[in-house]
Amino acid sequence: MASHFSGVLQLTDLDDFITPSQECVKPVKVEKKQGKSVAKIQIEDDGSYVQVNQDGGKQKLERAKITLNDCLACSGCITSAESVLITQQSHEELLKVLRSNKNKETEQKIVVVSVSPQSRASLAAHYNLSSSEAGRKLMSFLKGIGVHHVFDTSFSRTFSLLESQREFVERFSRREQDSKALPMLTSACPGWICYAEKTHGDYVLPYISSTRSPQQMMGSLVKSYFAEQQGLSPQQIYHVAVMPCFDKKLEASRSDFYLSDAETREVDCVITSGEVQKMLEEQNVSLSDVEPAALDTMFSSVCGDEFLSHAGSGSGGYLHHVFTYAAKQLFGEEVKELSYKTLRNKDFQEVRLEKDGAVLLCFASTYGFRNIQNLVQKLKRGKSPYHFVEVMACPSGCLNGGGQVKPSSSQNQKDLLHQVQELYMAERPLLPENDTRVAELYETWLRTVGEERAKELLHTKYHTVEKMTNGLTIKW
Amino acid sequence: MKEALVLVQRISAHPDSRCWFVSWSPNGALLASCGGDKAIRIWGREGDFWICKTVLQDGHQRTVRKVAWSPCGNYLASASFDATTCIWKKKNDDFESLTVLEGHENEVKCVAWAPSGNLLATCSRDKSVWVWEVDEDEEYECVTVLNSHTQDVKHVAWHPTKELLASASYDNNICVYKEEDDDWECQATLQGHTSTVWSLCFDATGERMASSSDDRTVKIWKEFPSESGPGNLSWKCVCTLSGYHGRTVYDVAWCPLTGALATASGDDAVRVFKEDAAASPDECVFSLVAQATKAHSQDVNCVSWNPKEAGLLASCSDNGEIVIWRFKED
Repeated sequence: MASHFSGVLQLTDLDDFITPSQECVKPVKVEKKQGKSVAKIQIEDDGSYVQVNQDGGKQKLERAKITLNDCLACSGCITSAESVLITQQSHEELLKVLRSNKNKETEQKIVVVSVSPQSRASLAAHYNLSSSEAGRKLMSFLKGIGVHHVFDTSFSRTFSLLESQREFVERFSRREQDSKALPMLTSACPGWICYAEKTHGDYVLPYISSTRSPQQMMGSLVKSYFAEQQGLSPQQIYHVAVMPCFDKKLEASRSDFYLSDAETREVDCVITSGEVQKMLEEQNVSLSDVEPAALDTMFSSVCGDEFLSHAGSGSGGYLHHVFTYAAKQLFGEEVKELSYKTLRNKDFQEVRLEKDGAVLLCFASTYGFRNIQNLVQKLKRGKSPYHFVEVMACPSGCLNGGGQVKPSSSQNQKDLLHQVQELYMAERPLLPENDTRVAELYETWLRTVGEERAKELLHTKYHTVEKMTNGLTIKW
Repeated sequence: MKEALVLVQRISAHPDSRCWFVSWSPNGALLASCGGDKAIRIWGREGDFWICKTVLQDGHQRTVRKVAWSPCGNYLASASFDATTCIWKKKNDDFESLTVLEGHENEVKCVAWAPSGNLLATCSRDKSVWVWEVDEDEEYECVTVLNSHTQDVKHVAWHPTKELLASASYDNNICVYKEEDDDWECQATLQGHTSTVWSLCFDATGERMASSSDDRTVKIWKEFPSESGPGNLSWKCVCTLSGYHGRTVYDVAWCPLTGALATASGDDAVRVFKEDAAASPDECVFSLVAQATKAHSQDVNCVSWNPKEAGLLASCSDNGEIVIWRFKED
């Protein structure tokens, strides 16, 4: 099976990359049980393994399994993680939960689906709709199959942008004392994070913004605030995110986003735009024919029946927002329009704030592996001129994510991407500071939980993965 | 046979180690060798003999697999199993380490300079091929990372005049790349070998390529205009040299001066083939014209023709030796 991960995490047919370096070399840990040392192992008709003791007693043996967490903690391949993921995070899993809700087999779960604006744009392009139409119709479809709430990750992204802005200004103020304060590198792209943790660890991780991605901000909102509001335990909610990217599945599986007390993940399952399209097709539904539903306004950035977005890039607009905020906060400059200068290639751009010939702020966006590579090398050599970098694993960023709907046979990839970009940009931008609902949540929810807890809910941590050296894997 | 390979000198170049690769400087005056001893040695002629002029040590933590001279002859690049590529700058008779290119996940298998000297290609066991660009300040930046192979990439070689790159892999294929719009793309995948392709090289014009493989054959590929559009090329196999090599053919070298094709094989032999001038260029014929069956006491890893002195050939082996040969045609 071809891999679906972003270029940074795989090779196969995407042009950008990071390679699964070797066959899985993770030693499987099996809990040793006390017992007699001599026994036979017998394979039963159903394929299970049974240990037959000398006294004839039988004992079913546990299957050794590589879990997703093993994969994430390993410096080896990423591809084997894929089959693990598919068993845990797929639209089949969502349907399974909905089915069991319907049949009342187990305790009812409240099913919440959070849709990313990039996925909305991708589906809109496929079904020839506007992005908002696609969002409304998707909401209607999802509610029709038994989903209780449909949210919008533009809403949670407002938190990510506000936190990134504040984090940057704070880091900028301590840049003299802390050599790792700047450049601040964005953290929303899980492919980039996984790569940084696996290959550049201590060098690079301190530069990465601790701000949670929109997906995981929504995780906090849903499993903490929403659960409490609804009088539910986090476990009673099944939270699905619809994303433009397969790597987001890895992000949802990080132990940092596992609520150990409640034994549940903040985001239980991530499905891609492409998987949503597959789900529609399996049910013989064309999104164009679905009657649109009224919007779920609890966690959505909307104005009337239109979705609102953010200015800047299709990858969240981090550079745009942090730049304008920092220009204002640090230098009192009102920046109306950012001028992007394309450097080595279209996926490497620079924006500067200059005054009287001095460069006050120097920001960049680097998308795709080749540009990430040069950024990382420059950081290592202490030659990076940047204060802030928006880093994304995919060439052209999130709108071109590996999980987006694939072009039809008559379409070419570039034209489709262009169309998705236009649909995405057509949504009216909302200034994060002007979102009254978000401001209200800062005032109420986040203030009441206390500063420390608020930080946990809005920020995260990164961990170096130790490199494994294994003599068995050498090939001439 | 009227042609013969005459031994000029046998050198214990990397004692108690493998000698992996030898490369002539563009003016033919120096020969660089590298090996399992992590060292690079530079050899120059004195009288009738080749002697070691300098040893480059401490550049790499593990085996140095390949070395390549820049077209101007002032820089040397070395590819190592320590996952890095080292760039050395010539200063009078010595070399200093200029920079270390990092980025490959693991063993770098080969390095090659483009004819302009502004681009450098590397390939690795991590299955990727990278192109680097060097600016006026001798800073190297990654231009592209290509993932067209599904296995270890063994070798990279540039077209002699164009910015066209070819790579050979453990996946049995050869890929040909060129720059398209904003990025490099794999333009053609050459399938035909039934096992690892260990090496490849272009002829003097760049219209043909020779590849050597673990399937014990050498294949000659020729470019044809592609149906997919002007400017695109497709490559077809026009000749397969089989039945000559007892084991893996590790290397193949096409002499830009004489058109002779030399091979290095795991059967310890060095062989030279010449093209039958009478055959049609679309179905060329090569015949074996000279061979040294016990050229080395172990696997021959590399053969290299001197670019200025016709017929001067260097080979190297797992036993750590370099042999200088003279290929005589009369």
